[in-house]
Amino acid sequence: MTDWLPSLVSGAKHLGLNYGFVLNPFERTAWLSGIGVTLELVALALAASLLAGVGMAVLLTSNRPWLQHPVRVLIELTRNTPVLVQLYCAFFVVNMLLNRVLDGAQHNPLTAFAWVIIVLSIHYGAFHAEALRAGIESVPAGMRESAASLGFSRRQLLWHVELPLAIRFALPSLINNLINLVKTTALGSAIAVGEVTYTSLMIWTQHDNVLELMLFIFLVYGLLTLLVARLGRRLEHRLRMPGYGH
Amino acid sequence: MPLSPSSPEPLVRLKDVHLSFGRNNVLKGVDLTVKRGEAVSIIGPSGSGKSTILRCINGLLAPDRGQILVGDTAVHALRSESARIALRKRIGFVFQQYNLFPHLSVLENIVIAPVRILGVDRATAEREAGELLARVRLADKAGAYPGELSGGQQQRVAIARALAMHPELVLFDEVTSALDPETVGEVLAVIRDLVHDGLTCILVTHEMRFAEEVSHEVVFTEGGEIVEHGAPAALFHAPRNARTHAFINAVSH
Amino acid sequence: MAIEQTLAAKPQPETQAQPVAVAFAPNALLLAGLLLLWGLAGTCLGDTLSVLWQWTPLLAQGLKMNILISLLAIGGGTVLGVLIGALELSGSVWVAAPARAFVALFRNAPLLVLIFFTTYVFPFEIHIGSVYLPFPDWIKATVGLALPAAAQVAEIVRGAIGSIPSAQWEASASLAFSRAQTLRWIILPQCFRRVLPPWMNLYAMITMSTTLASLVGVTDLLESAKNASNTVNRTDFTILVYLAVLTLFFFYCYPIALLTRRLEHKFAIH
Ligand SMILES: Nc1ncnc2c1ncn2[C@@H]1O[C@H](COP(=O)(O)OP(=O)(O)OP(=O)(O)O)[C@@H](O)[C@H]1O
Ligand SMILES: [Mg+2]
Repeated sequence: MTDWLPSLVSGAKHLGLNYGFVLNPFERTAWLSGIGVTLELVALALAASLLAGVGMAVLLTSNRPWLQHPVRVLIELTRNTPVLVQLYCAFFVVNMLLNRVLDGAQHNPLTAFAWVIIVLSIHYGAFHAEALRAGIESVPAGMRESAASLGFSRRQLLWHVELPLAIRFALPSLINNLINLVKTTALGSAIAVGEVTYTSLMIWTQHDNVLELMLFIFLVYGLLTLLVARLGRRLEHRLRMPGYGH
Repeated sequence: MPLSPSSPEPLVRLKDVHLSFGRNNVLKGVDLTVKRGEAVSIIGPSGSGKSTILRCINGLLAPDRGQILVGDTAVHALRSESARIALRKRIGFVFQQYNLFPHLSVLENIVIAPVRILGVDRATAEREAGELLARVRLADKAGAYPGELSGGQQQRVAIARALAMHPELVLFDEVTSALDPETVGEVLAVIRDLVHDGLTCILVTHEMRFAEEVSHEVVFTEGGEIVEHGAPAALFHAPRNARTHAFINAVSH
Repeated sequence: MAIEQTLAAKPQPETQAQPVAVAFAPNALLLAGLLLLWGLAGTCLGDTLSVLWQWTPLLAQGLKMNILISLLAIGGGTVLGVLIGALELSGSVWVAAPARAFVALFRNAPLLVLIFFTTYVFPFEIHIGSVYLPFPDWIKATVGLALPAAAQVAEIVRGAIGSIPSAQWEASASLAFSRAQTLRWIILPQCFRRVLPPWMNLYAMITMSTTLASLVGVTDLLESAKNASNTVNRTDFTILVYLAVLTLFFFYCYPIALLTRRLEHKFAIH
């Protein structure tokens, strides 16, 4: 690294902040890799949760009780229990059973990282699904009739009319859910996934510089939530229907 | 009244059609014949079953009893979704509330059904959409969104959207009732042109003058029955039935 | 024009159309039961249950901790949040800006990080003059949850007061209500209706988040379950104890969610 880094660190020292770990290449790399893992978690869970949400919303509005009911139950369960408990159930119970079925952890392709993504996508997928369902249900009946009169099948109606409208209605809720998802990736640290909270924890147990790392962490999550909110607003703008709403 | 060739073949035939919603008997034995190339207007008080008749013809509703034939298709006997879709491709429906897709531009609203449902290639569909927009006098609005148009303009787009499927028959359900008085004329002008070009239409309308002018036949419904039908001049000026007489008097004063 | 209105109108509250959800509680229970049986197949359920029974007092102790933290956090958060919401609405920028900053900070930080913050940055005891007040971890965790709760409450309050149309004030004035009477009889009841459902949602959310305290060494239900699981060290028991934790939280939070929906539905109609 260049020499501005040491001078920044010593500047911080004058303010009583101990950022010495930044100068240690090993610790610096470890911490930066934590940011990388957080970014991966956010990107994958974000995409997977949206897919899960659309899937569950489609099943919820399918008019087929044997599809609707199990999804309804899953949604109520996941929305009304702590994510951390879900994560433990997934990792300490389901994963353990899976290990047993597959004859040992070395044959199990699902890592702690994968479980965080699975649990977060189901959890936030449930929230997305509820928002999308409300959006689909608020598509006016006349719109359905006119699509049917043009010869749309049920599937075409869903993909070309109901979902596009539902996504527009639900977008503010979806963005809100995604911001919560970004923050919840911090729970990965509970099962030792090396995301930014976890690597920070490792460093502050060494150096006793909790406050210093806290500022960094707040900055990371603040930027990430800001980014999601910005992208969301841009999407809202792109998808807006001129003449309706704002 | 436009001249019609002597007795063309019937395109739509309803025989003794009954329909009830729960205990509400909405249609109580409706008989109706519409010949190919002709325009039939249905008039009658609110709740008399006019919209219900149209919805039965394109299979949005299934009658409890009776027969509905559109060309050779026995609509009352259609059971599968795909058979109903095949029917609806042949029948255009224009609604009082336009029901355009608000997330699609005017052009997209018109091409979506030909492209997605008929499998027409995009370029052809867009070219035809351009022609249709010119026909409804909205050539400059292809890129606009429904929310940016007046009611009359939206309704003309809805007509173009129905025509893009090359329907044999178009059903118009009170298409001017939601419009401001100034814009009613522009929509009626478009429909008048279509009738003159020989499109088979069924028009539910409250515009008595227009009905008299363009229709080959007018049908008066009340309480789920067809009370009287006949040539427009006869029905409007010399109704045989007292109820028809009362209705026409009430709406024209 | 009906369609334009329907489309332009805000989508209905997410949960409004779900009064039937009550019917699914038994299904959920059934599902949990089936899962449990599947997991325990091959082992003796009665034996596992009896081990669980031995651990029940400790687990109950843990659950009490979750409920205590949740009540204190929502209580403190509500008081602080109403205050901050009021500051946000005050005319002066010097007062409103710090309040906004508080809300922005505590709404955008992960709860877990806030709990780490209060746990590791705050001292373990507080000196007031010569008195040393202990500051145990569970209270620190409570503070860590109360701060974001306050930020949420501030948002809820601000939204509710802002959403009352000014015409209501004028209408009341023309009925000869005084300002105080208008506030008491017209504005606050409407605010209350708008605030109650999201506030209840917030309480359920806080309750579920109390499990995060287990990660800073507070012996709550989840921590007790983890301890029990590690101590007993039997697969069947691990399955059972975690499912028990899940079920307990579900039966605490689901009724709150149902009640919230009922209220939302009721308030949406009136
Ligand atoms: N989907 C439905 N479910 C139950 N009842 C219905 C339904 N659609 C129509 N009806 C009832 O059927 C009767 C006829 O309705 P219809 O819409 O056909 O009348 P209309 O002649 O078109 O009236 P308007 O001039 O008001 O449009 C009315 O009493 C109406 O309440
Ligand atoms: Mg009607």
